[in-house]
Amino acid sequence: MTTEAVPSRRSFLKGGVMLAPFVAAPAAALAPDDSRSRLTRLEAEMAARSLHADLLRRINTGDRIGAAALFADPRSARIDANWITVAAAADAEPDAIDVSADGRRACGRHVCMVETISAMALDSTFAQMAYAQGGGHVRQTERKVMIVDYVRNEAGWAIGQVQLTSA
Amino acid sequence: MARTPYPKQQFHRLKWTALSEATITARLAPVAAAGPAHASTLSNALSGETLRIVTDKGPSLTYRFRSDDRLTVAQDGGRAVQAGYGALDLGKVTFFAHLIPGTMQGFAVVMDQASGMATVFELWFGGQQEKREVSRAIWHGYVDRAGREPPAARNVATNRIEGKGFYWKQDTGAETLEFYPSATYSHFVELTRTGGELGFCGPSDYIKIDDETYIYTRTESEFSGIFTIYVIDLNRLEQVGLRLGFDAADKVDYYVFRGNGEWLGQIAQFEKFGDTSGGPALPRPGATGQDNTDPDAKGARAIYRPLKTYPKMTKAEVDAAVAKSRRIFVPPASGSGASGMAVNGAPSSGGLAGKTMTVRYDDGPAMEYRFDKADSLRWRMNGAGDWTTARYQAWESAPGVFILGHLLEGAPNHDGHMVVIDLDHGLATCFNGFVNTPFYANEAGVKTWFGTVEAENIVPPKYRRHEHTDELLGRALTWNYAPGLTSMHLYSTPNTVSWIIFTDTGAGGMEWSGPGEFVKIRDDLYFAYWLEEACNGTLGTILINMRTMHDAGIGYHCGPEGLSMSQVGAHSRHAGKFDIAKYFAIKTEGGKA
Repeated sequence: MTTEAVPSRRSFLKGGVMLAPFVAAPAAALAPDDSRSRLTRLEAEMAARSLHADLLRRINTGDRIGAAALFADPRSARIDANWITVAAAADAEPDAIDVSADGRRACGRHVCMVETISAMALDSTFAQMAYAQGGGHVRQTERKVMIVDYVRNEAGWAIGQVQLTSA
Repeated sequence: MARTPYPKQQFHRLKWTALSEATITARLAPVAAAGPAHASTLSNALSGETLRIVTDKGPSLTYRFRSDDRLTVAQDGGRAVQAGYGALDLGKVTFFAHLIPGTMQGFAVVMDQASGMATVFELWFGGQQEKREVSRAIWHGYVDRAGREPPAARNVATNRIEGKGFYWKQDTGAETLEFYPSATYSHFVELTRTGGELGFCGPSDYIKIDDETYIYTRTESEFSGIFTIYVIDLNRLEQVGLRLGFDAADKVDYYVFRGNGEWLGQIAQFEKFGDTSGGPALPRPGATGQDNTDPDAKGARAIYRPLKTYPKMTKAEVDAAVAKSRRIFVPPASGSGASGMAVNGAPSSGGLAGKTMTVRYDDGPAMEYRFDKADSLRWRMNGAGDWTTARYQAWESAPGVFILGHLLEGAPNHDGHMVVIDLDHGLATCFNGFVNTPFYANEAGVKTWFGTVEAENIVPPKYRRHEHTDELLGRALTWNYAPGLTSMHLYSTPNTVSWIIFTDTGAGGMEWSGPGEFVKIRDDLYFAYWLEEACNGTLGTILINMRTMHDAGIGYHCGPEGLSMSQVGAHSRHAGKFDIAKYFAIKTEGGKA
């Protein structure tokens, strides 16, 4: 029973996925059905992590169209134009991925450092001068939690929606 | 009859003649043939030489120097033309300049005789909206000499002389203070030409030849359009250079000069350590206060032209705009104006609430106040008339010292009072802002009043008053108003505030300046204003606390959107001080400093 899990676990390890919670599980206690549902969950988690990594890479390289393509409905993808870079917070807990019982939905909680840029109101002399020389914007890096809904459709896993909340 | 050194109008108030290209060409013709004027003996280092200067991205110039003031030059293998020229040496550097007869073009060339490196400044009139303004393009290259390998290195744009200041005295007798608080702009005070009352700013280039030798340029954009270039020896405090353009009387100013300097000091730089980069910002089409210059055009750079986009209003328009909208200390999101100027401002104080007092100005009104709340007062002038309710804000910058501001509703010139009150000493100073001024009705004007505070338990002094001070003279203070918005003030004369806007990399960027005044309130506590004359018309008033390194202030502005009084507040750093007080002392010997 446990041998089926081993190859999957190895494939996750190759992908750099954290599996500590699963390694700690008493494998011998798993029933066949548990094992199947766990595999489903692990596959969902892997897909979610992979999508999240792809999303960050595409945001960070300025590929907004590519980032939108990761969404189940690219037209409704809401990727804030003010985001410059989004990176995993180095000191954060591992990402938490909750998978629905039917294995068709997942919700990721990713702690990130989000660098944003926003235009300054050009209503003072100094702001106008800053703009004229290429500035006139505010760059800020804030610790945020990116809540990502993942959905599984016929084509596979995709992002449902993304929301940033305060850490 | 005694003569004062002051002009009838300062640079920013002069109506500079819009010279046509035909007029410029005609006036340049005789001097192009004769060569630049000079007070010092010209160098004969080039006399009899034939050489070619090759630039990487610009022209190739083949010179034959027939004497110490005549040459022929061919551009890019074209036909050679004769011109007058002037050359001066500065150590290993030879500098020479000439015009191309029959054109509006000229060249200034800096040759490092030791390394063989050269930088060519291509100069021309007619390239800006004001044809009299000199344009420049900079081409780095080398002197191509037979039998000599071209150098691999080039002179480079740099920030390595950012933060320095000099007094210069040219061989013509002209004396200036010149400051480089920016990597792309500079600030200059004409001590002898205009009496040194105000300093002005111009876009500049800073180019490194070696660690002690640099090239500096300045274009007096928005004013005469005159171009100045010189090579500086930092250790010997010597310069050689050129001045080219048309003066206030539209006469050709075309001469090479030698000068000697005095060291004024070095203020801090704020780029990351290791960053020595330089070079101008490119024009940003659509930006306020700029030409829509093509960023790819030859010699293109961002030039601040604030008056170009300033909305100029008549008195009737001002009165209508103020009647429609007066935004007095409304939250920034409501559009009080200058929304980014107080993100780092201190919270306002309710310390005046419940107090009543009379502020009696020596040369102004007696203002009776009843501070009903932390943000609402009633005032009455000269003990007569009805009480008027006004919104105000106050900040207690030091114990017992408040800066407060309010609008005088109904005043014909829409006056706003920005007042510093010292309750411990019974003293007050007011910067009285107003509009309906002579040049543009929406441009702010200011009167300064000193006075006393009369209130319960306060016995004001009979003779003592706050006083003007030169303790800020020469200082540079940075002001971080909000993330991404940091300026530096440079107090370059007793009556000038210059402001430099930092770039994202911490380099000094665009710079402008206006009249200012400085009043000492207490030790390390100063009340100052800057007036954005011929710029954006704002009156900025700040109480500078050099112990907390925080200011509290009030901006007073009028435009088509109405009149606003809004908070100004920023964190400060002391960037340093130039030692310039002696240049502004009025001595008894002939009134000269």
